Amino acid sequence: MKKYTHFLFAAVVVVAMPLLMQSGSLASEVLIFALAAMGCNLLLGFTGLLSFGQGIFFGLGSYTVALLLTRWPVPMPLALLLATVMGALGAAVVGWVAIRQRGTYFVMLTLAFAQMFYFIAYTATGLTGGDNGLMDIPRPNVSILGFDLWTLASPWQFYGFVSLIFLVVFWLLLKVSRSTFGRTLLAVRDNEERAAAIGYNLRLLKLQAFVISGAVTGLAGALHAMMTGLAPLSNAEYHTSEMILVMTVIGGTGNLFASLLGSAFYLLLADWLSQLWPRWLLLLGIALMAVSLWMQRGLWGLGETVWNRLQGHRKQSAGTVVAPSAAAVPAKGEQA
Amino acid sequence: MRPKTPILLEAIDVEKHYGKFAALGGVSLQVRANTVHSVIGPNGAGKTTLFHMLTGTKAVSGGRILFDGQDVTHEPDHRRVQRGIARSFQVTSLFLSLPVRENLRLGAQGVQPARALNPWHEPVGARAQSQVVDAVLSKVGLENLADTPAGNLSHGQQRRLEVGMALAARPKAIFLDEPTSGMGIDDLDDMKRLIKSLRDEHTVVLIEHNMNIVMDISDTVTVMQLGRVLAEGMPHDIRSDERVRTAYLGNMITGGKA
Amino acid sequence: MNIYLLQVINGIGIGMLYFLLAVGLSIVFGLLRFVNFAHGAFYLIGAYFCYQMTRWGMSFWLALVVVPLVVGAIGWATEKLVLRHVYASDHEFHILVTVGLALAVQELVILQWGPLGDSVAVPDSLQGVVMWGSFIYPKYRLFVIGFTSVLAVLLWWVLEGTRLGSAVRAGSESTEMVSLLGINVLRIFSLVFGLGAATAALAGVLASPIRGAEPFMGIEALAVAFVVVVVGGLGSFSGALLGGLMIGIVQSVMSTLWPEGARLMIYVAMAAVLLLRPHGLLGRKE
Repeated sequence: MKKYTHFLFAAVVVVAMPLLMQSGSLASEVLIFALAAMGCNLLLGFTGLLSFGQGIFFGLGSYTVALLLTRWPVPMPLALLLATVMGALGAAVVGWVAIRQRGTYFVMLTLAFAQMFYFIAYTATGLTGGDNGLMDIPRPNVSILGFDLWTLASPWQFYGFVSLIFLVVFWLLLKVSRSTFGRTLLAVRDNEERAAAIGYNLRLLKLQAFVISGAVTGLAGALHAMMTGLAPLSNAEYHTSEMILVMTVIGGTGNLFASLLGSAFYLLLADWLSQLWPRWLLLLGIALMAVSLWMQRGLWGLGETVWNRLQGHRKQSAGTVVAPSAAAVPAKGEQA
Repeated sequence: MRPKTPILLEAIDVEKHYGKFAALGGVSLQVRANTVHSVIGPNGAGKTTLFHMLTGTKAVSGGRILFDGQDVTHEPDHRRVQRGIARSFQVTSLFLSLPVRENLRLGAQGVQPARALNPWHEPVGARAQSQVVDAVLSKVGLENLADTPAGNLSHGQQRRLEVGMALAARPKAIFLDEPTSGMGIDDLDDMKRLIKSLRDEHTVVLIEHNMNIVMDISDTVTVMQLGRVLAEGMPHDIRSDERVRTAYLGNMITGGKA
Repeated sequence: MNIYLLQVINGIGIGMLYFLLAVGLSIVFGLLRFVNFAHGAFYLIGAYFCYQMTRWGMSFWLALVVVPLVVGAIGWATEKLVLRHVYASDHEFHILVTVGLALAVQELVILQWGPLGDSVAVPDSLQGVVMWGSFIYPKYRLFVIGFTSVLAVLLWWVLEGTRLGSAVRAGSESTEMVSLLGINVLRIFSLVFGLGAATAALAGVLASPIRGAEPFMGIEALAVAFVVVVVGGLGSFSGALLGGLMIGIVQSVMSTLWPEGARLMIYVAMAAVLLLRPHGLLGRKE
């Protein structure tokens, strides 16, 4: 079925990673950040909203799950759910204020809010552990009524758990992207003013996109905390938001599977390069500039171009392909 | 002579200021249902500003606007769409990356914007509003291009799609802002016939510079100048009105603002 | 001496630096419709170039003149060679190009000077304090206030009183009109962008004896500049001034009342202003 080819691609990647990679932690990280990148993509690629605040929701997810698992006997699935909800709530708050502005103002606000959250996390040491963050986060087994169904102790066992969650969320987001809501978002991205003029409530649409994005990103943060056992302050740092954005853009906006590509590309490259050269981020900065200038559709777009070339231009847009004519000077006043 | 239909839309002493500049200085207007009502005037007369006021694209500085008996003065555009007011734009403003059919579906959907928040169901089947979309496609003559991205259409086709977008909302009143701007002769005739055909099911308010079309299809013509109504009446009355002639001819000869 | 008075004066000093940091960003946005995420990077290299020059034994005063010119030239070249190519694309790519640039610059700085940061000495002539009766205050900080005030007046004069300034202000309204009037818009873009970079670098130079030079100061400076611009109103010169002073004083006073929360209060103040006046204190509705 054509509709779910992307899901198939994702499933293939999920199955392939244990076969091709050594580190279960790295593989889990790829999926975790793919979730975060998809959340970012929903905002950027579908709605046209560039948010530097994804670190807020990622951090919220981490802190929430850390607190719930270390301080109270909350079952792990519930903790994950609550972390997701916290991410959604955080996004609702940030979104409600930021969405009042359009364009660049909006972008700047998300950055300012990200910084605000960072400093809140820094000062609220009782909740967040401040500079040290929260530690010793357990990784409980999946259990029902005391019966252990699934041990998550080893990295690859945890990977299995993460990949299941990833595939479910991926499928859900695919549904969202194809839904009436998703299609309307594309219109908002294309021409916001027209969308408003024909009757759409931009604020509500953007807010809903924000909330979904926040939820997914919060879930990613929670899984990350479980994987590393830590909820560090750095999750709320500018660099985390930047990293998520970079993955989204390099993968390709407007396409959910591309976010998995972007996450894999970034993390595998980081893993390999950081051992060779500590300043590898320099290359990433240059790569980001290059993508913004010349490869705006990201890795996915590159793949599509290559595929099309190989197919010998088999894909052509249907119907008349006519370039819009230069505007003729309209007749004004009375005709002779 | 067609019998007089009830008044659908009324502007009462509408004003609009941009800082110190008065774009509209007290404009009153009545549009009757199922008529083609044209608004003409030299550049800078305030025609497009008047449109913005009537459709809610921008807010008034003073005066009132009544639609279907209701005071809609302070309602923004997306609310007025739900009441049955739709507009096209002077500068083509389509969803260029999306296919023609999708553009129209979005226009049709805009009347029930709550559905747009549905994050689960795809817009297929009943939700795709195919009946409305297909009807509009045939009305504007773009059936063959339904799957083409709007950005790939010719200028004339894009102008027709502009009108189609407004039609898709099945409005009571449709506002067309210079629908023929930039069109070649062949396209002009098609557009003229299209606008004329709209009268039966809709009320058309039209800004046009092409006098041929205005005189041929309008029931009422309002002439504006410098933010005020200069004259109003049936086409042949306007054609012979001295003030109108001065306003236009003066404009043409001196080339400046009348 | 009254501690609050001291902190208010400190706040004015910091505020003037924030103004200097933000005004370039604001002017660039007003004309180019572009928020330069590499603005903090210009601030960063301003501080580091100053550090390097003092390391080479040159005087701070020389750095004060040379560094903004050099960084201004770098900014000018960046606009001409890189940014110009991205104007035709969606606005997110304008921003992302500068994000990439900022990241690259930060890494280059670490590559060259190490990750730990360095301090810059206050110039000899400005060391020590000034004493007027019971009023005791560091000479350097007074100098900063004085110097930036003069600079503010100078910038105001350039914007309001010169042809270049008129072109910039007109261009903020409509670039089409300006180019129809025969003015080379692209050249003004490069100039303005260079000016923005120069002011950021100047702020970096002035701040370096107080704060030192440290690789991650670029991001923080960027965020503060954003806050000042959002509070004051995007595109407004006086807004940048008012916003800068306000934020500077808030931060300074808070550092006495609640030291850990001082930087947080900047953002809280921003949120408060936004709730009351969504377009900033002096911003225009777009």
